Amino acid sequence: MSFFGFDTSGPASGNVHGSSGNSNKPLDFEDTYRGFGEYEREEDDYLNDETFGAEVEFGTDFDFGHSNLGGGASGSRSANVSGQGATTSGSYATNSRSYAVAASSAPVQQQQQQQQPMDTNLDMRPMESLWGNEPVQNMLPPQLQQQQPQQQQQQQQPSQPPQPPQQQQNVMPQGPLPGAISMEELERQQRQMQISNQQTFIQGYPHQPIPQGNAQFGNQYQMNMPPGIPGQYQQMPPQMFPQQQQGQQQQFPPQMYPQQQMNFMSQQFQPPQPHMLQQKQPQQPQQQMQQPQQQAPQQQPVQQQPSQQQQLPPQQLQHADVESLASSDASQKYASSLPTPPHQHSPLYQQREGVNQNTMRESNRRMSKRGEPLSPEEQKRLQIRQAKVEKILKNAGLMTPRDKDFITRYQLSQIVTEDPYNEDFYYQVYKIIQSGGIAGKSNKDLIARAYLEHSGHRLGGRYKRADVALQRMQNQVEKAVTVAKERPQKNKDHSDIAREGVLGKISSAMNSKAPRRQLQIPSPKSGEEEDEELSGKLSNASTPVLEEVTESLNNVGISENSRSRRRSSYAFSSVDQSSVLSRSGGRKFVLSLIESVYEVVLELEAQLRSGKTTDNSSLWESLHIGDESFEVCPFISMLSFDKGVKIIPRIFNFLDKQQKLQLLQTFFSELSHLNVIIISSFKTNPSPTDSQLKKIELFQAVFLKIIVSFLSSSANFIEIMGLLLHLIRNNNVSFISTSKLGLNLITILISRAALIKQDSNRTNSLSSPDIQAWNEVYDKLFISLETKLSLVFPPKDYQDKVVKETSSSLPSSSSSTGSSPQQSSPQYYDQAYIWQFLASLALSGKLNHQRIIIDEIRDEIFGTINSAEDLTKANPQDQSALYRREKLYQDLNLFLNVMGLVARNGEISELK
Amino acid sequence: MSLETPLDLLKLNLDEKVYVKLRGARELVGILQAFDSHCNIVLSDAVETIYELVDGELKSNEKTSEMLFVRGDTVTLITTPTDDE
Repeated sequence: MSFFGFDTSGPASGNVHGSSGNSNKPLDFEDTYRGFGEYEREEDDYLNDETFGAEVEFGTDFDFGHSNLGGGASGSRSANVSGQGATTSGSYATNSRSYAVAASSAPVQQQQQQQQPMDTNLDMRPMESLWGNEPVQNMLPPQLQQQQPQQQQQQQQPSQPPQPPQQQQNVMPQGPLPGAISMEELERQQRQMQISNQQTFIQGYPHQPIPQGNAQFGNQYQMNMPPGIPGQYQQMPPQMFPQQQQGQQQQFPPQMYPQQQMNFMSQQFQPPQPHMLQQKQPQQPQQQMQQPQQQAPQQQPVQQQPSQQQQLPPQQLQHADVESLASSDASQKYASSLPTPPHQHSPLYQQREGVNQNTMRESNRRMSKRGEPLSPEEQKRLQIRQAKVEKILKNAGLMTPRDKDFITRYQLSQIVTEDPYNEDFYYQVYKIIQSGGIAGKSNKDLIARAYLEHSGHRLGGRYKRADVALQRMQNQVEKAVTVAKERPQKNKDHSDIAREGVLGKISSAMNSKAPRRQLQIPSPKSGEEEDEELSGKLSNASTPVLEEVTESLNNVGISENSRSRRRSSYAFSSVDQSSVLSRSGGRKFVLSLIESVYEVVLELEAQLRSGKTTDNSSLWESLHIGDESFEVCPFISMLSFDKGVKIIPRIFNFLDKQQKLQLLQTFFSELSHLNVIIISSFKTNPSPTDSQLKKIELFQAVFLKIIVSFLSSSANFIEIMGLLLHLIRNNNVSFISTSKLGLNLITILISRAALIKQDSNRTNSLSSPDIQAWNEVYDKLFISLETKLSLVFPPKDYQDKVVKETSSSLPSSSSSTGSSPQQSSPQYYDQAYIWQFLASLALSGKLNHQRIIIDEIRDEIFGTINSAEDLTKANPQDQSALYRREKLYQDLNLFLNVMGLVARNGEISELK
Repeated sequence: MSLETPLDLLKLNLDEKVYVKLRGARELVGILQAFDSHCNIVLSDAVETIYELVDGELKSNEKTSEMLFVRGDTVTLITTPTDDE
């Protein structure tokens, strides 16, 4: 392999060795290509661009070595080599050795070889100029000569293709080449040589089987190697590198080789000698120039490899220096073409690169082999295909299967959980909805399938082995779950470490659920909590004893006062939530209580799912029922919020009967403070808003349902009586009765009691004291309602407002026939609840009670009958009016039927 | 439940009506359904008011959405609404 490039531009300057006749011949790929492209790339091919320069188009064919052998391999090369001895001095045209071969031959021979191929096809003038320097080179002092090989060996180790010794000797006599070239030309040629060298480098390597190299190793090193490398220095014009002379040992007589070899061998493994260090710097340009002559590392004897690699780093350093010092860009290029350790250590990368290169080259070859020009479409298609293949292969093999597994596991570990119903609730619900409530495949299986689908995985890839991919993924999920299992434990152990003297906490464990926080303010320590408990703010104390103490402390002063205040305060209750909330700890406090309740309920539900026994004591505590530290029980305030109401059914799942009863007692006792009652009363809230009405509706739908189910399923007569008593004692019943909700609650209680009483009449299950007690309670209720019974009917404008609000929130139903909105529109104020209440009241009462009721609401009864009759008077055929009329009679008869009466067609008659 | 972080205050207002001030002269009133550490929030029954200056005159547009996701980086303020609509 020669160092200086042949000149493809083919300057017309005179050629040496009489080969000028060939110099203008165009390069022919078929002639020169030796099939090396099929072989693996070498380590340093990635530097090709830098080496060749960007100006060289890929696929440019270079003639390196007159190879007319086509795909000639090592066999042909060795044949050439052996024949070379005879031919070198004569016609160079017959020399078909590659530069890779030539580069490592004996010094003189090498020169010839380098020039021989160039001469045949191109003018290789740099050689000519170099020959002229020979005399000077010969005069080098011995120590310099010796040193030079050493340095070269360090950097150019590979330049030793097998050459029989006799060849070198044959070559030796080759005379110096006259002539000189300009710097520009030299540089250009260098560049070209570089290119050709690289080509040889890439393609020539595989053709030189290692065994052969090994066999000739001895020869190379003893004879060829040391002188051969220096010989290359001869090619450099003296004016270019002042130190060049040092390297020109190729002119040494053959008998000197053994000695040099010895020196070289010994020095190579010695620490750098002082004088060598001194010379290093100036020599570097030369060394760099020689770089392209390197043979592939694979050509080196195996034993040499380690030493070369060890020597590489210093080399690189040198070149870094050199680059700044270099006077020609050629040297810079050479510097960059040096083999560098990183690449030697990344065989994977190289291999991949090699594959790409090979595919490229192969297809090129295919194209050229066909000989016929491809049609443009074909070419285009081929190019597209090429690009596609390249794209696919670009990063192929970058990750090992292990790497991939790791990544998928890492990703999966974030989405799998041991407790899907708690941490992945919405997906679980979605899944049940999707699968129609059937709990089909296991969670892990689904995750694996979903992951494969969503990651754009073509299940199984090329061979459609979906089952394999799925199985793989399932394994991954399995592993990820185990990882996830360990995770929470770790978090508990390691997260939130408060360091001494640090303002915040340091969170060591991070995951998707607990991302790192900027700063974590340490929560107040237990000491502060105790203070709070003592002041009665918190009742969930750390020690039960302390709790008792604080509670008793609180009860002494506050509860007496608050109770009395409570009873009197209902009248001043405003619609404003805050007035109620402020009496039970403030909005924030109540909201935080609700959150606590949610937390506890969620935890209990998780326990229930996992089949553990639940302990509701924490839930009971969080409800603050019977908490006397506030004027209004916090539980009642919780019901001021929609979310507080919504959680009640779930709370009831975990409470036992006694707790439920106590909860309802508290509820009925403080009914006047209930925000919903206040906003649903036409007295305190004469013009309810849409949102308020929705709230009332929600409360009715959720809470009343619970009460009804509790009363009908588990409460006995005494308990119901007790609840009613709580209501009557602690509240202004007539105020509550102005609220639809309050009226409904009373209705539920007394109707349920009446039902039980009716049943017991048949079975005689109620004792006389029970009935006696009931009568007393009823009397109390009736007395509190007496003279105010007509107030259960909301005023007309209130009814209108409610209707207006509800119909405005339901725009679709606003079709009307005219007249007044209440009567003609399908939306009207439903008074059924009032008649139900009156019916229940009358049912439980005696005859005199019923008489009083009728007396008080006589106007309402006839008013209802009149309005019903009016509906059909104006428009007898109106279906909606007829329906409305029926409805009015139906509601009215609910009450009238209790007393054996019936209203029909504008008249009240005895029920038959 | 204890109040430790600023977002715990936001948690208290889950399922409650909140006022959200956004960048770009926008504000939202709606029921807070969900939020995360980035202040991404989901509002239901949201009313968005967009203010713009047209010829030196402040004009506002209202948009209502049944359910709305608000990306956290636009949120500048979250509080309880001052007037109950």
